[in-house]
Amino acid sequence: MALTNVLDITGLMLSSFGTLVLAAVGLAIIFGMMRIINLAHGEFIMIGAYATAFSFSAGVPLALAIPIGGLVTGIVGLVLERLIIRHLYDRLVDSMVATWGISLIFAQGMLIIAGPSFSDVPTPLGPISYGDFSMSLYRVVLAASAIGLLIALYGIYTYTTYGRHARATMQDEETARSLGVNTDRIYMITFFIGSVMAGIAGGLLSPIVSIVPTLGQSYIIEAFVTVIVAGPSVILGTILSGFSLSVVNAPVSQWAGSFAGRVALLVAAIVIIRLLPEGISGYWMEGGE
Amino acid sequence: MSEKKPTLPGNEFLPSIVVDGLDRVFAPFNGPNTIGNSPIFWIAFLLVALVALAYPAVTTPFRVLNTTGYVVWIFLALSLTLIWGYTGIFSFGQTAFFGLGGYTFGVVAKNLVQVTGATNLALLAAVVLPAVFAVVVGYFMFYGRVSGVYVAIITLAVTLILELLFGRTAGPQYTIGAAELGGFNGMTNIPSLAFGIEPVLVELDPVPMYYFVVGLLIAGYLALRYVVNSNYGYVLIAVRENEARTEMFGYDIRKIKLQAFAIGGAMAGLSGALFASWNNFISPPVMGIVTAALPVIWVTVGGRQTILGAIFGALGLQFLDSELAAAGSEFSVVALGVILLGVILYFSDGVVPAIASRIEDRIGSSPDESVVLEESDA
Amino acid sequence: MSSGTRGDGTPILETDGLQKTFGGLTAVDRVDYRLPRGDIQCLIGPNGAGKSTFFGLLTGKLRPTGGTIRYNGEDITGLMPHERVRRGISLKFQTLNIYEELRVSENLRVPCQRRDEDTRTLIEEVADLVDLTGKLDQPVDTLSYGEQQWLEIGMSIAVDPELLLLDEPTAGMTVEETERTGELIQTLVETRDMTALVVEHDIDFVRQIAEQVTVLHNGEVFRQGTIEDVAEDPEVKRIYLGEEYGGD
Repeated sequence: MALTNVLDITGLMLSSFGTLVLAAVGLAIIFGMMRIINLAHGEFIMIGAYATAFSFSAGVPLALAIPIGGLVTGIVGLVLERLIIRHLYDRLVDSMVATWGISLIFAQGMLIIAGPSFSDVPTPLGPISYGDFSMSLYRVVLAASAIGLLIALYGIYTYTTYGRHARATMQDEETARSLGVNTDRIYMITFFIGSVMAGIAGGLLSPIVSIVPTLGQSYIIEAFVTVIVAGPSVILGTILSGFSLSVVNAPVSQWAGSFAGRVALLVAAIVIIRLLPEGISGYWMEGGE
Repeated sequence: MSEKKPTLPGNEFLPSIVVDGLDRVFAPFNGPNTIGNSPIFWIAFLLVALVALAYPAVTTPFRVLNTTGYVVWIFLALSLTLIWGYTGIFSFGQTAFFGLGGYTFGVVAKNLVQVTGATNLALLAAVVLPAVFAVVVGYFMFYGRVSGVYVAIITLAVTLILELLFGRTAGPQYTIGAAELGGFNGMTNIPSLAFGIEPVLVELDPVPMYYFVVGLLIAGYLALRYVVNSNYGYVLIAVRENEARTEMFGYDIRKIKLQAFAIGGAMAGLSGALFASWNNFISPPVMGIVTAALPVIWVTVGGRQTILGAIFGALGLQFLDSELAAAGSEFSVVALGVILLGVILYFSDGVVPAIASRIEDRIGSSPDESVVLEESDA
Repeated sequence: MSSGTRGDGTPILETDGLQKTFGGLTAVDRVDYRLPRGDIQCLIGPNGAGKSTFFGLLTGKLRPTGGTIRYNGEDITGLMPHERVRRGISLKFQTLNIYEELRVSENLRVPCQRRDEDTRTLIEEVADLVDLTGKLDQPVDTLSYGEQQWLEIGMSIAVDPELLLLDEPTAGMTVEETERTGELIQTLVETRDMTALVVEHDIDFVRQIAEQVTVLHNGEVFRQGTIEDVAEDPEVKRIYLGEEYGGD
């Protein structure tokens, strides 16, 4: 039935949007602020998922296990930032290669430490259905959480001292520093926040994926694509980018399977970048040229 | 940095006839855009070439076959050196052309073999088709003013799309002449290189194949050296260093990038074709994310802006990887990651330049461009 | 690329109604401008007057939203920057734009190798013109700022242009360097049969070299004339210094 189809596609879009945004938001913060690409981002998501799954299996309720996953990932990110990342600011390509190295270490390291898989986290809540249409309510929760996280980020960046300093640093680092902003600390905190976001994303995704060391690899490509298509504005760009890409991805997946959906997403990304060479929010901000 | 006396290293103890001879012979390949321009370097080069050529005589055909398997990938790394190291185009998708080259070789070779018994033109086709595809992709990007990390994204997306598409070619309907594409399981029974027409055939067994590939590598190395030190090489470097300034000298930046990208595509295609014929098999994962990262890693570790960097990076890291795997170590991937990190943090230009500057500190620097420009230019 | 004098008196450069708007802002507002062959002229005006935008339109970096540009009588409005350079226009950028990782001779090589004559000879010739002969083998970061500016001027004339556009060539220079730059430009224009259009802020420099001055304000041509006429004009003073300073 047509309505079922529409609901199916809407459900898929919601799910796709939620996943894309969740996967991308941590990476977007770091790219948008510090112009570095953290290719270990997928492994951060993985660490968040593992930490959540581990806490959950130790009896912690899911709603608490997820923030724990976020925190653990944040700490890992912080350590990494202090040791390695801070030497790579403004070295975009070097940051990609170095963090690719880190991702290899983490993925393989997790395999060595924890084995090929970990016990799954069951999906909470049940299905939501209407006639022939049925979809896991949790997927709606995912999409809502994605938006919730973006709203929280908006709040942080608009209403806190850190947020104001961070935006100043993003606009003009030298001026910000000369006005007394401790840009070194801003970068550190930003990387921490980005890592926490990735960890929370991992935690939120843990009920719907298998907990394996390579789970990050499934998300890094989509995250990377979503972030670049988004352009320089973190919040607006990620929303628009996630939306545009899932608008293409969902119906194609529905029609022709998830492989085709992936191809469609990549093609859409190519087309968008070709038309808007600075990403979606880059075009938006320039007022078109 | 103090001014060094312009002595040629090795001048002191080499007979001048040797020094002059080497300078004369290798002059077209010398210049400031490559590492190693001195007589001592060329002597080392000749020695290495000799060792490479003598290698099959001192080892088993199996090991020769193995080594060939490493060497075929070098051309992929070299393609990235040309377009990224020298021209500044950060392509994350050279494996797209590698894969296309391999599959094209497979399809054409399997069909030609039925007719003539040899692969002949299959190699040429496998270089041309990826080059044409590179022109299409390059036109799309460079004439659309896409640059920087956005080029990386588009090229990555292209190679992933190809991986996905080729993965869906399972089933007898995906057959081109005598060649079944094979979907995710890949194309099997790809013939080894063979030239001639039945019954006059030269089939390349492991040792002849090794010589063929190594010969191509030596020729390719010299050709690249010539190109990057020529006027054209300077154009590429100028585009890399400052596009706006270069454009305002009358250079068409888009066309230059497109040309370089097409040549890079051809080189990557050659790499893929050689691989397919060596491996007698090719499958979609050669265009996937893990493989796509390899040339970037090799070239970064070896030294992005030097030709030797690609060669050493590709050979060294492949060798290291297989040694660790053979030792049963699950740490090989970890080791790769650590090496990557170490190089970025401590030898940001790559290992080969770091070694070269240490050598130069010891024995003096090589002839400079003042020597090169005295010849009339290409 | 350089030609003899065109006898028919066409100016080397003309713009007709040249216009550039960005969203709501009109940066260049229907500018009609004529540059006679062989002249050295200056383009001045307060910040935001549209000088850089005008130059961007001349070089082709920006597309106009209206109007035309003619070079030697040919409509070049639709041409890309490199096509304009091939017809004889050259630019010295506002911010220093050289190949910072290369040597002086290599910097000069890139433009010089475009021409038919022997590259090495051309490099030495240009280096001689900008006083960098002894420094050819040096990396450019060993040069002083003034020398680097001169290197870029050298690079921009190495393509043997007819029309040289210079965007604030003396920014950051000492008084002495500024004066020498003025002499350099005059020498180049005279000996190489060129025309020069210079965006400048330094009034003494303008006085030294310019035959005619055009004042831009709010994207429009506000005044034109010799530097003496323009400098004394109370309206010009007003737009630079604000209402209360008009008239002295």
